[in-house]
Amino acid sequence: MEKSIESIWKEGFLKNDALITPKLNNLYEQKSIDIVEKFKRMYKVNIIALMAFALLMLVIALPSGMPYMALPMFFLFCGIVTIALKFKKKLENLDKSQNSYEYLKSFDNWTKEMIQTNTSLSRFMYPYVFLVMIAGFWFGSFGGDVPGNTMINEYLVNNPETLTVFGVPLFGLIGLVFILAVISYFGAAIGNFDLNIVYGRILDKMDGLLLDMEDLRK
Amino acid sequence: MPYAGIIIKICRAYSNSQEDFEDYYQEVCLQIWRSREKFKKQSEWSTWIYRLSLNVCLTLLKSEKRKQNYFSTESLPNELIEDCKSFSDESLNELYKAIKQLSEIDRAVILLYLDDKSYAEMAEIIGTNPNNIGVRIKRIKQRLKKILDGKIN
Repeated sequence: MEKSIESIWKEGFLKNDALITPKLNNLYEQKSIDIVEKFKRMYKVNIIALMAFALLMLVIALPSGMPYMALPMFFLFCGIVTIALKFKKKLENLDKSQNSYEYLKSFDNWTKEMIQTNTSLSRFMYPYVFLVMIAGFWFGSFGGDVPGNTMINEYLVNNPETLTVFGVPLFGLIGLVFILAVISYFGAAIGNFDLNIVYGRILDKMDGLLLDMEDLRK
Repeated sequence: MPYAGIIIKICRAYSNSQEDFEDYYQEVCLQIWRSREKFKKQSEWSTWIYRLSLNVCLTLLKSEKRKQNYFSTESLPNELIEDCKSFSDESLNELYKAIKQLSEIDRAVILLYLDDKSYAEMAEIIGTNPNNIGVRIKRIKQRLKKILDGKIN
């Protein structure tokens, strides 16, 4: 006589081995590895994008007659890439033999150091970018007329009583310093916002995982 | 872990290998741990565990399918069901193999039915009308019998 599905179910689960629970020792191991690996991939892509952008600066801005913008931008991005590569090396050297919590904790320390460096750099980087852009338009191409000087000369001819410092109107210099100070002041926030757009979600995930693990360790 | 049996039964029905089963089980446990404070005692604890386990398994199954580029919402093809030797009881293995050939919702319905849940509880867990459950169970049982026909004595 054929068994009913109800009796197969009941009799089957009466046997001792039917409800053996899997061990939960390595509950977070795979998750930790997944998060760090995903971050590594994103970081690598970001570095490649920065390198590409540095080269793009040379390829586009140089022929279009803005060498004073292209070259400093190229050097800036090269500097950022160098720092990022150093961080990447540190990331690769994280000790994988630690348990998941310690591994994630050391990754967390790495991200904090990276964010701290990014914040400090942003205070200088954004004003630098602004200054370089101004310089790019001001000095124009190598040789020939300097567009900025032409513009100032025209202005000074019409407003001869204007106070100047090194041939530049004082109010212009004050305005420039003010803008640079504002950008520098907000540089850290802009940098963190930028970082958050790229890595925000994954870093939030990691924070959640660490909180869970800390909760479980109590 | 209390109610581990519920989680095991559900995870077995939605996973296709021992490795998958362990991942599903861990994920369900993790979600129960995370959501434990959200349990508002408006239902039985076991009902809540059932609902949460089903939701987690269905979500994992969907993301697995997305990864494998396997878009069907219906049952798994027979060749993908590797894990049919999970239990020492051969009949139970065959039954699970048959259950895995059902659609995702039918799997949930039959698991709840076999665990003696009332129609009202089943409807609450699945989020459907209790009136439809009886007809659905009858249809699922017929299909299971057809699949199992001749395989189990």
